[in-house]
Amino acid sequence: MTRTIAAHTGKATSLMAVPMLDERKKSISCGGGSGHSIACGKESTAGAMSQRACVFCGARVVLNPITDAFHIIHGPIGCSSYTWDIRGSLTSGNDLFRHSFCTDMNDMDVVFGGEKKLARAIDQAVSTHHPKVIFVYATCIAGVIGDDVESVCKAAEQRHQIRCIPVQAPGFSGHKAQGYRLAGDAIMALIGTRPFPRAKAHGINILGDFNLAGEQWIVKNYLKSLGIDVVTGITGDSNCAELMQAPQAQLNVVQCAGSMIALARRMEADLNIPYIKVSFYGIEDTSTSLVHIAQALGNPDIVDRTKRFCQFQINQLKPIVKRYKSQLSGKKAAIFVGGGFKAISLIKQFRELGIQTVMVGTQTGSAEDYDVIRSLVHDDCVVLDDATATELEKFMTERGADILVGGVKERPLAYKLGVAFCDHNHERKHPLAGYVGVRNFAEEINASINSPVWAYV
Amino acid sequence: MTKRSKGAKTRNVKPEGTLEDLNVNPCKMCMPLGSVTAAYGVEGCMSILHGSQGCATYIRRHMATHYNEPIDVASSALTEQGTVYGGEANLHKGIDNLIKLYNPHVINISTTCLAETIGEDVPSMIFRWYESHPKSNTLLVSTPSPGYGGSQYEGYFSFLRSLVTTVPMDPSLAAAHQLNVICGPISPADTRFLKQMIKSFGIHAVMLPDVSSSLDQGRLSVYNRTPEGGTKLTAIRSMAGSDLTIELGEFVPKAMSPGQYLQDRYGVRCQRMNAPIALRDIDAFIKILEEFSGRKISASVAQERARYLDAMIDSHKYNSEGRACIFGDPDFCYGITRLCLENGIVPVVVAAGSACPEFKKHIQPQIDDLAQRFLVDNFDVVQAADFGDIERLAKKNGANVLIGSSDGRRVEATCAIPLIRCTFPIHDQIGGQRVRTMGYSGSLMLLDRITNALLLRKTSGFRAAIRNEFYDNTLLSQAHLHRQTQSEQLVAEAQACLDDAASDYTATREQQKHSEAVQKTKSHPCFTAGCSSKNARIHLPVAPKCNISCNYCVRRFDCPNESRPGVTSQVLTPKQAFEYWKDARKRIPNLTTVGIAGPGDALANWDKTIETINLIHKTDPQSVFCLSTNGLLLPRYADKIAAAGVTHVTVTMNAIDPIIGAQIYEHVNLDGNTYIGQAAAGILLSNQIAGICMLVQAGVIVKVNTVLIEGVNDSHVEEVTKKAAELGASVSNIMQMIPVKGSVFGGKAQVPQKKLACIRKTCRAYLPQMGHCQQCRADAVGTLYEDLSHLFLDKKAPHTQTSHHQAYRMAVASKSGLMVDEHFGHAQQLAIFESNGTSVRFVENRNLDTYCKGSDACLKEQSKDVRMQRVVSLLADCDALLCLRAGTEPMRMLADAGIEVRLTCDRIETAVLDAEQSLVSKGIIPVLSRMQSI
Repeated sequence: MTRTIAAHTGKATSLMAVPMLDERKKSISCGGGSGHSIACGKESTAGAMSQRACVFCGARVVLNPITDAFHIIHGPIGCSSYTWDIRGSLTSGNDLFRHSFCTDMNDMDVVFGGEKKLARAIDQAVSTHHPKVIFVYATCIAGVIGDDVESVCKAAEQRHQIRCIPVQAPGFSGHKAQGYRLAGDAIMALIGTRPFPRAKAHGINILGDFNLAGEQWIVKNYLKSLGIDVVTGITGDSNCAELMQAPQAQLNVVQCAGSMIALARRMEADLNIPYIKVSFYGIEDTSTSLVHIAQALGNPDIVDRTKRFCQFQINQLKPIVKRYKSQLSGKKAAIFVGGGFKAISLIKQFRELGIQTVMVGTQTGSAEDYDVIRSLVHDDCVVLDDATATELEKFMTERGADILVGGVKERPLAYKLGVAFCDHNHERKHPLAGYVGVRNFAEEINASINSPVWAYV
Repeated sequence: MTKRSKGAKTRNVKPEGTLEDLNVNPCKMCMPLGSVTAAYGVEGCMSILHGSQGCATYIRRHMATHYNEPIDVASSALTEQGTVYGGEANLHKGIDNLIKLYNPHVINISTTCLAETIGEDVPSMIFRWYESHPKSNTLLVSTPSPGYGGSQYEGYFSFLRSLVTTVPMDPSLAAAHQLNVICGPISPADTRFLKQMIKSFGIHAVMLPDVSSSLDQGRLSVYNRTPEGGTKLTAIRSMAGSDLTIELGEFVPKAMSPGQYLQDRYGVRCQRMNAPIALRDIDAFIKILEEFSGRKISASVAQERARYLDAMIDSHKYNSEGRACIFGDPDFCYGITRLCLENGIVPVVVAAGSACPEFKKHIQPQIDDLAQRFLVDNFDVVQAADFGDIERLAKKNGANVLIGSSDGRRVEATCAIPLIRCTFPIHDQIGGQRVRTMGYSGSLMLLDRITNALLLRKTSGFRAAIRNEFYDNTLLSQAHLHRQTQSEQLVAEAQACLDDAASDYTATREQQKHSEAVQKTKSHPCFTAGCSSKNARIHLPVAPKCNISCNYCVRRFDCPNESRPGVTSQVLTPKQAFEYWKDARKRIPNLTTVGIAGPGDALANWDKTIETINLIHKTDPQSVFCLSTNGLLLPRYADKIAAAGVTHVTVTMNAIDPIIGAQIYEHVNLDGNTYIGQAAAGILLSNQIAGICMLVQAGVIVKVNTVLIEGVNDSHVEEVTKKAAELGASVSNIMQMIPVKGSVFGGKAQVPQKKLACIRKTCRAYLPQMGHCQQCRADAVGTLYEDLSHLFLDKKAPHTQTSHHQAYRMAVASKSGLMVDEHFGHAQQLAIFESNGTSVRFVENRNLDTYCKGSDACLKEQSKDVRMQRVVSLLADCDALLCLRAGTEPMRMLADAGIEVRLTCDRIETAVLDAEQSLVSKGIIPVLSRMQSI
C-alpha cells in the first residue's frame, strides 16, 4: 500500500556564507562529464577542518578485530583513549582485543626514551595473559624520540618465543590508507610467506570484513549453507591460530577493497592464493559476489545452488524493499564515508531504494574511485575528496540533502541542518551487510527520513 | 622509595606481577581535549591543534558523541615534512584558513605531543603571524598541551591560564562589585544552573568558561557554525577588576590556576571551593554568595534545600546499602564522594584517572568516619588509575554501584554493577550535555538516580536470593518436592482407576482412537523406522516461545546452516504455515506427517499450535499430526491435544530425579512464576508424568525423547526409559546432546556413539528404541535423511547449463570486482567472464603488467609495446575487453588483434551481456568456437 508521507521539512540554512578555500577547489567537482577530475591522495589542508583520522587509526582498526591478540599502543594516552574498543567488532571467543593497552608515555619517557618501559610492558603482558601474538603500535612520539620499537619487539620474540609484531604507525606519516597497508604488512608478518601446496588448498579467506554487528557471521553462514568453507576472516572475529592457517585457502575474497587489496596482492604473490573482489552491501552486490565466489571455486553444483539461494533470498526481500521504496522514492542522499568502495556501494544501494545521491565525499578515495563515482551520479551531484566540515554544511544545504550517511562525528551537523542520518561506520549496532543488511539499511533510512520530528522543527 | 620516583607517581595502584607498565583501558584523556573543551566556553573562540590531523579528528568524535553537537577543531595537519623541518608554515596556513572559514575572535592554539616533542616554539610563531597580519584583531592564545604532560583536566586549566595571561586585562571594564567564577569541566546544564543561581542573588559575575549554550545549542532555523554563547572577551578583560574570584576546583595545580594568576598579578582575591554538589558544599557556596551580595537565600532555594533534606531522610536506608565506586577527573570524584558520604553510601573505590598527588590525602580521611559507622573495612582511594585497577578494586571491595563516565561500561558488564553515567564522556546514552549534579535540585536528581539503581538491584534480586538461601538448597525444598511427586503419582493412579471403571462408551471410543493412532504410527517417519525414508514430514515452525530453559539449548531463529532441534530460519504464523504445508504437499507426494516441533515449545504457544492443526485438519484429515513438548503444560492440554486429532506426541524427558534435572534445566516458567534448581526440575517432572498418563489414557501415542548428556544423565537414562515405559509411552528416543556454542553445555563433549548404542541396547528391554533420529530442525521438510527446507522454499530455480563451445569470453577491468570500473592502463589484473546469451560466468582472474607506468615510463615506448603484446597474447581467447577507460594506442592494438574494446561503467554482468549482444549483431563468432573448429 502506498501512502503519501508529508514532505521532509525543517531544514536549516547557514547563518554565515561558506567561503571556498583555493587549496580545496581542485578536490571538488561534480558528476558526469562536466567538471574537472578530482585531486586526491593529498595531505589535508591545515585549518580547513578535514574529517580525516591518522595512519595509526588505519592500522588499529584493521588489526584490532583479531580477538586473541594483545594490542599495545606505544605512545601517550590520547591514542589509547580515543581508539579503545572503537571498532564494534563482535567475537565468538576471546575478547582480549576489546581492551586498550597503552604504555601511557609521560614526559620522562619522552626525555629518556620509552624502550625499556615497552620491553617491561611486553614481559608483563606475556606473563599475565600468555598471548600468542602481540602487536605494538608506535604512534607519533615513539617515532620522533627515536625509540627502536623494531628491536624491542625482536628481542621480545626471542625472549618469549611468541610473535611480537611492530606496527610503525606515526600519525603524521600519511593518512588512514597508509595505516591499512601497514596492517596488511603486519598480517603477512604473522602468517608468513611459506606457500601451502595448491593441490591441497581448500576453502576461502574473507579479507576486509571486520564483523561489525556480526556481518562476518552473516556472510559465513551464507557460504556454509552453500557448501563453501571459510578458513579465516581477515580480520573479523579471527584469532591467531586461524590466521596462521590462511595460506591453506584456495581463494581470497576481498571485501572493502580499500583496506585490504594490498594484502590480497601480497598473498597472491607470496602464497599463490588468487583473489577476487566482492561486496556484501546491497541486494545486487551480495548476490553477484556469492555467485562470483562459487564460480571462482569452479564447482558447478555449488554455482547452481548459489544461484538458487540468491534468487530465493531476493524473492523474499523484494516485497520488503518495495514497501520501503514507496516511501523513499525521490529523496536525496548525501554520502560521506572513509573509502571510495563504500561510497560507490552506497550510491547503488540508494538507487535500489529510489533515492538519488546529491553529494559524495570520501576521506581517502582514489582518482579511479572518483571517476566511477562521477559516472554513477547525476550531473549536479557534488563530489569531493577529504571533505571539510564547512563543505559538508554548504553542499548538504545547497543540494537539499534529505539524509547523510557518515560517521558519528558528522551526525550532529546533519541534525543541526535538519538532515536525517544513517551511521555506516564502526559504531553501528545492526548489520548492514548481506540480505538482512538490505532490510536493516532500508529500515534505518526510513526511520530517520520519515520520522515525525521533522514536521515540528 | 622506589627506584623511579617519577614513574612511581603513575604506578602507585598496581600490584606486583600485573601489567604495571601498561595502562589498561584508560580512565583519562589527553590535554588537548581539555583545552578544546574549555575554549568552547569563550565567545567566538575556535581551537586549532598544532600536530597530526588525527588528534583533531579523534577529539571531535569524542566530544561530538557526548554533547551531540557539531564539534569543529582545526588541525595544522603536520606531515612528515613538517615534523622534520618545523610546522610554522602549516600553522600559519591553518590560522589563515580558520579565519577565512569561521572568522573567530579568539583562536586557541593548542599544542600536541608531536609539536612539543619536535620543539615547536608556538609563541614565536604567533609573533611572526601578527607581523605578517598587522591589521588582524584576532586574539591568538598559545596553550601548551602535550598529550603526555597530563590529562584533559590539566589541559582544561592550561587553556584558561593561557587565556587570562594573554588577554589584555583592563580592570576599568569591570562592573561595580563584580565576581569572577571559574569552573572546571562541568556540563552545560550545570553551568546554566550556576549562572542562574548567582544571578538570583543580584550579583554581577563573570563566569569562565561558559559552555552553557555553546555545547548545548538549541534548534534554530539557521545554523551558526560558530556556536552562540561563551564568556565574552570584554568580560574576560574585566576580570582583573573584580572584587573576588571563586575557583570551583579542589585540585587545580597552582601553576595552572587562572584565579591564582589574577590574585598574584591584579590582587583579585581568589577563594578556592568545592563545586556546589551535595549539602555541605552547596551551603558553603550559597554562604559566599550571601556574603558577597549582602542578600539572603531566596525562599524558593530555601525550599529546594528543605526538599533535599527530606529526600536524604526518605532514602537513607536504601542508600545505606550503597557501596560506590566513583571514577573520573579529580574534582568530579571529590564532589560525588562527598555526596555519597552525606547520604550514607560508602565510597569503597574512589579513582582519579589523572595523576593527582593530593588526591588520597584529601579524600581518605573523609571516608574513614562513614566506613567506621557502617563497619566497612576495605576501601581504596587511588589516582592515576585505569579501568584495570577500577575493576579489580570494585570487585575486591564489593562495590554495588558505579558512578562516572560511560567508559565504565565494561566494568558494568563484567561485574554486573549498575553504572550511573554522569560525567564526560557519555557515549552510549544520550543527554551528556544535560546531566545535572549541582545545587540542591541537581544533587537530588543525581541522588535519586543512585538510590534507584540500588533499589532496582535490591527489588529485582531479593526474591531469588532469599529463596536460594532459605529454600532451594535446604531440606525443606527436597521434602516438599518428594511430597509433590508422590501426590502427582497418586492423582494419576486414582485417575487410572476411575477411568477403568468408566462407561463402555468411553472405552470403545478410546479403543477406536488408539487403533487409529496405531494405524497412523505405521506411516509416521519418526515412530516407525521402516518408513522413514519413504514417508516425509513437515515441521511447521509456528511455536517460537519456550517456557523452560535447558542448559543445552540456545534458540535462534535465523540460522539456515544448523540442523538441530530448536533451530529454524523463520517463524511462521498459523496461516503462513498452512500455505507452506499446502505448497509442500503439492510437491512432496509422500508427505504424510505434520509436526509442530517448536522452535520453542508447542504447548507454550498453544493458540498457534491448535490453529495450525485445525487449519490442516480441515483440509486433510488423513494427515498424521504430531507435536513435541517438554511436557510442562501437558496436564493442561492433554485432552485438548487428543480432541484435536493429534495422534503422536513427543515428550522430552531427560531425568526423573529432580537433583539430576536441576543440572539440566536452568529455569522453568509456569503461570508467570520462574522456578529454578530442583524446584524447577520437580515441577517439570511431575507435569511430565501426569501429562503422559493423560495422553496415554486418551489414546495418543507417546514417544519419549531423552537428551543424553555426558556426565549428567548418562547413567540415569535407563531409569528414565523404565519410567516412560511404566507410564505407557510407546517409543523411546535417546539422542546425543549437540553441544551448541553459547549454551551452558556448549563446551561439553558428546557421548560417544559406541556408548549411545550400548545405552539404547539396554533400554530396548523397556521400550522400542528409535535409532534413526536425525535431530531435525524445527522447520525441517522432507524425509528424515534429506532436509529440503532450504531448496524447497525456492520456487523457480533458474537452471541454465552453459554450453562452453558457444560462449563469448570477455576480459573485464574491475576494481570492485562487481562493476566495470577500472582504467585499462591501471588494471593489475583482468577478470575473465563467459557469456552464453542468458547467463554470465566468472572464469578466472589474470594478472598483467600494468600498461600505464606513469609519464617517465611512457617515454620508453618499446617496453610499452612489448607489454602490450603480452596483454594481447594473454587475451587471445577473449572476444572483447570491457573497461572504464583506455588509451587510444592500446585500443588500436587490441582492435588489430580482433579484441573489441568497450568503455562502460556498468555492472559486470550487464556489461558482458550488452557486449555479447553487440558481438552477435555484428555476426562475430566466439573466439573459443573458432579455436575449436580449427
